[in-house]
Amino acid sequence: MTDIQQTVYVVEDDEAVRDSLELLLKSDGKSVETFENATAFLKEYSDKMAGCIVLDIRMPGMDGMELQKKLNDKHSILPIIFVTGHGDVPMAVDAMKEGAVDFIQKPYREEALLEKIEAALAQDREQRKSLDEKQEIIRRIKTLTPREHEIMDRMIAGQANKVIAIELEISQRTVEIHRSRVMHKMGTHSLAHLVRMVLSVKDLIDAR
Amino acid sequence: MTESDSANSEITVLLVDDNPQNLKVLYETLKDKGYRLLIANEGEKALDLAHRHHPEVILLDIMMPEMDGYEVCQRLKANPETADCAVVFLSALDDLQAKVKGFSLGGADYISKPFQSLEVIARVKTHAQVIRLERQLQARNRELQSDQTRILNSISEGIYGLDERGNIEFVNPAAALIVRSSVDELIGRNFFELHFPDASEAADLPVHATCQQGVAENQRNIPMSRADGTSFPAEYRATPKLDNEELHGAVVVFRDITADLENEAALEEAQALVQEQRDQLAHTSRLTTMGEMAAGFAHEVNQPLTAITNYARVAKRIMSKQDAPDITLLGETMDKIEAQSHRASEIIRRIRRFVKKPATGKEVLSVPALLEDTRQFAEVDMRNNEGGIELLLPESLPDVMADPVQVQQVALNLIRNALEATRSADVAEPVKVSASLDGAGTVRVQVRDHGVGLPPDAEDNLFLPFYTTKSDGMGIGLATCRSLIQAQGGDIGFDRPEDGGACFYFTLPVAGEGTGSAAADGAR
Repeated sequence: MTDIQQTVYVVEDDEAVRDSLELLLKSDGKSVETFENATAFLKEYSDKMAGCIVLDIRMPGMDGMELQKKLNDKHSILPIIFVTGHGDVPMAVDAMKEGAVDFIQKPYREEALLEKIEAALAQDREQRKSLDEKQEIIRRIKTLTPREHEIMDRMIAGQANKVIAIELEISQRTVEIHRSRVMHKMGTHSLAHLVRMVLSVKDLIDAR
Repeated sequence: MTESDSANSEITVLLVDDNPQNLKVLYETLKDKGYRLLIANEGEKALDLAHRHHPEVILLDIMMPEMDGYEVCQRLKANPETADCAVVFLSALDDLQAKVKGFSLGGADYISKPFQSLEVIARVKTHAQVIRLERQLQARNRELQSDQTRILNSISEGIYGLDERGNIEFVNPAAALIVRSSVDELIGRNFFELHFPDASEAADLPVHATCQQGVAENQRNIPMSRADGTSFPAEYRATPKLDNEELHGAVVVFRDITADLENEAALEEAQALVQEQRDQLAHTSRLTTMGEMAAGFAHEVNQPLTAITNYARVAKRIMSKQDAPDITLLGETMDKIEAQSHRASEIIRRIRRFVKKPATGKEVLSVPALLEDTRQFAEVDMRNNEGGIELLLPESLPDVMADPVQVQQVALNLIRNALEATRSADVAEPVKVSASLDGAGTVRVQVRDHGVGLPPDAEDNLFLPFYTTKSDGMGIGLATCRSLIQAQGGDIGFDRPEDGGACFYFTLPVAGEGTGSAAADGAR
């Protein structure tokens, strides 16, 4: 799996804050993209975006909370760090309930901000990695033939080859061949790993 | 005195002759003619009778032993009490010299001896009538004079009649009372020396120009010395005394205004207290507004501070690159820091100016500049409000005369109310703030929103203290606004636009125009 480029998306209406934050993050070696309001970000948004969002909670027009809701509607998994002013803590709490990873009060210390950004990026990586893994599992599952899929389900359910053979009215030898193909296609040698892999994507498969 | 005599219309005639025969003839001639007749046979006696009875007519023989008629006449004329009687000389000396001498001594007429009784009767009658009329006239004059005196005496203001050098010719009792002296002592003294003993330059003295150049004067709160050396604040009017355009000094009417000044001071003190309380209330109201806007201001100040912090970190990073620090980038970053700190201090300056405790006082103000400043101020609140504020200003607008802090307070209050009404109604229409020149020499500022509008009882109550339509309002905002605008000589009110919302306005007098034209009309 290749490491994808993570970007910090800064959504901030104040030009000076936006500009200074961009310089700061770039000088720390981050990839940064800035947006002067929520609408502009929403227009650019795609699920290919990786990284995190640094989002000002108060903005004219669509505010940070509204943007968060709209992104949730789009199943965005981009972690959001809310930037709040003095006295906006209740708003920040609401934002956290909606799934924001963190919030930071203006004016903030650089270390604190970078720490939170790093944490968000790590979370994004994790999420993305696990999502990638799951998608890989699903992709592999999709390569199985219906017979192989059926046999895998029975394997996971803990049925022995003999039982599978009797129930499906095929030879035990045929079951063994299917079984080895399933293990091969799913890229594992261990039944326990196979079980874990399939269970981890169960919700995704069921959702389809 | 002689009033009773003349009132009786009884005329007294004194006959003076050393010759009893002559006296008898005269007596016989004039008796039964309605006169009271007195007789004297020598000068001394004649003078004594004249003194006691004030005869209208004296028939006086010239040639008498002891004191002759000329001397009697002279002494009669020399005494004011007897000077007005008509002396008719009787003499055998029918020469011109004697007649001329008689007239020159004040004689009224001349009858030659031996006299004709008809002539005597006719002359006595004529002179008696003349004297009677004269005496009546004089009595009437005295009456008039005493009337005038009574008037002058009863006036509570002091009155001086001065000659052109300022010497006091007339004083009324009130004047004497005010300057703690007496009428008699004041007459003849010099007005300037008495009342302005410390003055160095005579030409600058009060009343001086009136005495010398005939210029009327009217001054107030002039310190005037009293006769006893104390002094008092005076108000006076000096009018030139003219006689056929010739200047004869001045009449000065003056009074002690100590009590007036005390009353005025008390009134001013009361007004100052009212003003102070109004300022206090306005200040409280401003602080309340600031309190309501505190979160917005904190945010507003935090923005540049955040940027400064970020830029400073960036600058440090640039410097820490020891091989090749990018000096150009560092300079740019420093410039940005500077710009942001100016921005922060500008916000703080604006807040401080707004909450400044005593209002700065009226000055010539540009309404567009003030409204622009107020708009930026109000936008602190607006971050959560849709719609925004739209300024509609004419190309040119005359400056107004008003207190900038107080006007801004009113404008801010109206704009914030409008924003809140807009938000409550959940509409996107911006609040429109406009200014225009009114017909009545005032500039009218209007704040129009499309918000929730006004309650039906607004006309009666909106500007009353403690009336509020807001659940968390104190109800001092608009009451304070009205008090502030009225203090500027302007008016405040509102309309209900047909298409909803509310329209508040206030007016301010144009600078340089009479303040009276724009006087508050609180009836709206």
